Amino acid sequence: MNILKKMKKIGHKESEIRDFCIQTIRFKKFLENARALLDLFEDGREKALGEYIFDRHYVVTLIDSVVERLGMMVYDACVLLPESGEALYATYDTHKRTAENLIDFSGFVKKNISSGDVTPETSKTVEPEYQLLSEVLQWFNGKDAPLHSTVMAFMKQIFSKVVQGQGPNEIIKNRPLFENCCGKIPDMGIYLIDLWDDGVALPGGKSSIHDFNSIPLNHLLIDTGARSVPNGADWVAAVGEYQLSLNSLRADFQFRLVTLASGDADADFIFVFADNAAILDTLLPPGFHIENSGYGQFAWNLGISEKTIEDSLMIIGRNLFN
Amino acid sequence: MANQPLKIMLIDDENIVGKRLKPALEKTGDIVETFEEGKKALARFDETPFDIVVTDIRMENIDGIEILEQVLAKSGRTKVIIITGYATVEIAREALSKGAFDFIAKPFKPADLRGIIQRASKELRSGFLHTT
Repeated sequence: MNILKKMKKIGHKESEIRDFCIQTIRFKKFLENARALLDLFEDGREKALGEYIFDRHYVVTLIDSVVERLGMMVYDACVLLPESGEALYATYDTHKRTAENLIDFSGFVKKNISSGDVTPETSKTVEPEYQLLSEVLQWFNGKDAPLHSTVMAFMKQIFSKVVQGQGPNEIIKNRPLFENCCGKIPDMGIYLIDLWDDGVALPGGKSSIHDFNSIPLNHLLIDTGARSVPNGADWVAAVGEYQLSLNSLRADFQFRLVTLASGDADADFIFVFADNAAILDTLLPPGFHIENSGYGQFAWNLGISEKTIEDSLMIIGRNLFN
Repeated sequence: MANQPLKIMLIDDENIVGKRLKPALEKTGDIVETFEEGKKALARFDETPFDIVVTDIRMENIDGIEILEQVLAKSGRTKVIIITGYATVEIAREALSKGAFDFIAKPFKPADLRGIIQRASKELRSGFLHTT
């Protein structure tokens, strides 16, 4: 079937489901870029401890990588939330300028040594490469950095915007669509969308959780009892074999979980967003990093083994559904 | 040779590398000389040969590959270890094909370089035993 015929086949409801799938996949991409940024922060911190031999080229590459990843994250955010593009790109430009100034910093020290403003003795106390890395770490997430000026503060701002704009209220609006596609009383009270198949054709034939081959979904539900929700579903889950995006459909309990469970510890992660009504400390197993914002709580666990991801999802599932 | 300290030449145009590595490598009793310019390093090599040469690959004027070629031409028994950045691993492979003993990518821990130097030292010493 050629592309035109395929497009003609896609009806209105299918395109809405397809949009939902595309947004879900884009949000995962957004999280992956955020994760890559956190890994870069960690790499810089590790090198700054003093054990490593590195040169200026390493620090400049680190700065460039952060700018590039941050740009990818901003791009993802703009795809998810086009109306926020201008403001996000304006802040991104500020960070690009900060990065350029940081790279010039070593030149600044050298220039001032030759002009006599900085004595060679002063500059000898900290090697310029370590000084530069220390400045870079301040820019990433420094406690002494001015409020809202760090990359981490910007990441939190982007997260809040995306989660608010893409948030449960938006997803709740889609309830009739999910109902149409998955039936009024779905299995376990969860509307299930196949991320890859249902994006191109209306869901059909799969009526039970067991019809979906999704490793993280299985982990999540393995320790939960049968659940009957007579008034319709209160969750929607978009799933792939290694992927799960679970969203609450309740207005009084905003919750979103995104996970990749591919068996590759370097890539796998669990990300959770919840409004302040949820007590993430008790909902999540140990090992999660939790950040609070005015809008809600963000939590993540990165670089986790297959066993840890299985255990974590099982505990979260039990706490959510039992 | 078996109990003598190694003579190590360290060449990197980034001052910090020599400054940090020299004390770390001298801890085991070896003699380390550092250079920021390939030309000066090669002139010193003409005066006195070194057991091991550790050189950065990307430097102005004379790069690591040229150092490798000239050192091996002067002294076939010297082991040359190449230091590379992230983007130069391909060039490091080229260096290996031209006779470099091994390479190490920046950033690295002095202990990692020490491990390579120990292997090079073993080879040097076994070579010495075979020729005596």
